[in-house]
Amino acid sequence: MSFAFALSLGVLFGLGAVGAPIAYAMIIASIAYLLVAGQDLGLVVEQMAQGVLNNFIILAIPLFILSARIMNEGALTDRLLKFCIMILGRFRGGLAHVNVFGSLIFSGMSGSAIADVAGIGRVMMNMMIKTGYSPGFAAAITVASATIGPIFPPSIPMVQYSLVSDASIGYLFLGGIIPAFLMTGFLMLTIAYVAAKKKWRPDRANDEIVTIREIPRVTIQAFPALLLPVILLGGIYGGVATPTEAAAIAAFYALLVATFFYRTISVQKLYVIFFESAHSGALVGLIIAAAYIFNFVVTSANIPQLISTLISNLNLTPLSFMLLANVIFLVLGCFVDATISLLVVIPLFLPSCRAMGIDLVYFGVVIVLNIMIGLTTPPYGILLYVLSGITGVPFSKIVREIWVFIIPLLAVLVVLIIFPDLVLWVPRIFGYKG
Amino acid sequence: MSQPKGETFMKVLRWLHDRAKDVGVVLLMAIFFTFVLQVFMRYVVGHPLGWTLEMSLMVYLWLVFWFSGFLVKDKEQIYFDMLYVAVKPKTRQIFDIITGTIIVIALALSYPATVDYVTFMKIEKTGATQIRLDYVFSIFLIFLPFVVIRGGIRIFHLLFGDSGGPDKREETNP
Repeated sequence: MSFAFALSLGVLFGLGAVGAPIAYAMIIASIAYLLVAGQDLGLVVEQMAQGVLNNFIILAIPLFILSARIMNEGALTDRLLKFCIMILGRFRGGLAHVNVFGSLIFSGMSGSAIADVAGIGRVMMNMMIKTGYSPGFAAAITVASATIGPIFPPSIPMVQYSLVSDASIGYLFLGGIIPAFLMTGFLMLTIAYVAAKKKWRPDRANDEIVTIREIPRVTIQAFPALLLPVILLGGIYGGVATPTEAAAIAAFYALLVATFFYRTISVQKLYVIFFESAHSGALVGLIIAAAYIFNFVVTSANIPQLISTLISNLNLTPLSFMLLANVIFLVLGCFVDATISLLVVIPLFLPSCRAMGIDLVYFGVVIVLNIMIGLTTPPYGILLYVLSGITGVPFSKIVREIWVFIIPLLAVLVVLIIFPDLVLWVPRIFGYKG
Repeated sequence: MSQPKGETFMKVLRWLHDRAKDVGVVLLMAIFFTFVLQVFMRYVVGHPLGWTLEMSLMVYLWLVFWFSGFLVKDKEQIYFDMLYVAVKPKTRQIFDIITGTIIVIALALSYPATVDYVTFMKIEKTGATQIRLDYVFSIFLIFLPFVVIRGGIRIFHLLFGDSGGPDKREETNP
């Protein structure tokens, strides 16, 4: 490792540790490298600008953020929830099951765990607390189930992975389908176990439960919202639309339904929705742009090759390599933001994957799931902060209950590592040659 | 962004800020409706347009750096906060001064090379839309000075004034 790169790393972690925004820490670390290595500082803007302009998949990010925001603000989320309660609300631990199942359906439209927590998650959690669940438990299941969002297609983290790895975004999306169902199943089994052990009564007393006479009305009201995942996925896999186009179609459809069917969107609201979506889209965009220049530095310092050689000297089997990589990402997940893991750390492992013949779609889905678990693990678990921030449930209360749900998520991770076919089966049906 | 004495100055600033917000909203709407148009022309009319994707990407580039330059507050950025939230407010203020100064100096240092690169790009045009790349990249010539100026004002506040001025970070993240 050259002195220039060591200095650059020092600047990155030094600035990060004393509270500099991640994007700027990466840009400044790159400037430090270029200065010491005697390279042109104009490269900073060149890499950022060309990086954004040459990767059209990047456009899926603001568009998916927009569609999730429209759904949350336009009450599509509420109608969906009512539908889920109708199906699952009567069971023991019913609302907890609804929380998980609702996340699965919602994840078929949004690609972000934070959108899930802030939208359907928050509504569901308040309902659970009102029915008598402890706030810590309600918050924990909300956080855990939100991780399904970026695993079931569409998925913003998978778009980011595709940007750094060149793996097909369409096949990555498909690869997430079985893992998402596994997560849903494992989480619901955990709830059933907790409910049986604590001898909970069914949630029947809850006034949110739908009576039989209301079933047709609730179904009709939820129907346009339920159609959205069908349009989205049908569009992508029918070969009709690219994932980016599908994101725009989803946002457009959600806008139409919210405006004309539910009549929940006004012009003022629309302005706020567009502003806030653009704002989030810019925050993510700046980090991606910064990652382009930083990754340029990492590559020009020959670091991925170095790590690849190091790993090949260990003589690992692909399975033990996967286990090692997953342990590293889990530990990172406790301390580092998901975007850093996705955009900066993953590229370091890709040459080794290629050298060992590990499929990049399989690697991507597994590591994205791993990083999503990282969103829920203290001390640095962004979902814990977001939910605590918007609901007022103390951070420590959520942390105390989250462990119960991290275990089933880890179990899914292990199953996927051992059985790659669970990830690759669906992509292969659609013609993936991996 | 400085602390204005006059009411009118404050009003002008607020008006400018609101217009910057309007531009931000228009940028995302442009991406959104360009895409809707693209989908409509390709699948309904059967006459795909060549310029839509390129146009949306350019607008997104502008959106990212327009927001980052004018509208995103420091506290809204994504940052590591483990050590930062653990220390006393006084230490935090020192941290802010250090990071702020380093960011301002480094970005200012990169500015001449950036101007060189952007003006040099006048020789190239985008593929489908035939827009000169120096125009497309000119957003960086606006973005960089603004981040430097805002950073400078913030450092000034931290050193001599209240605890952070208009970009003061909130205690909790996010």
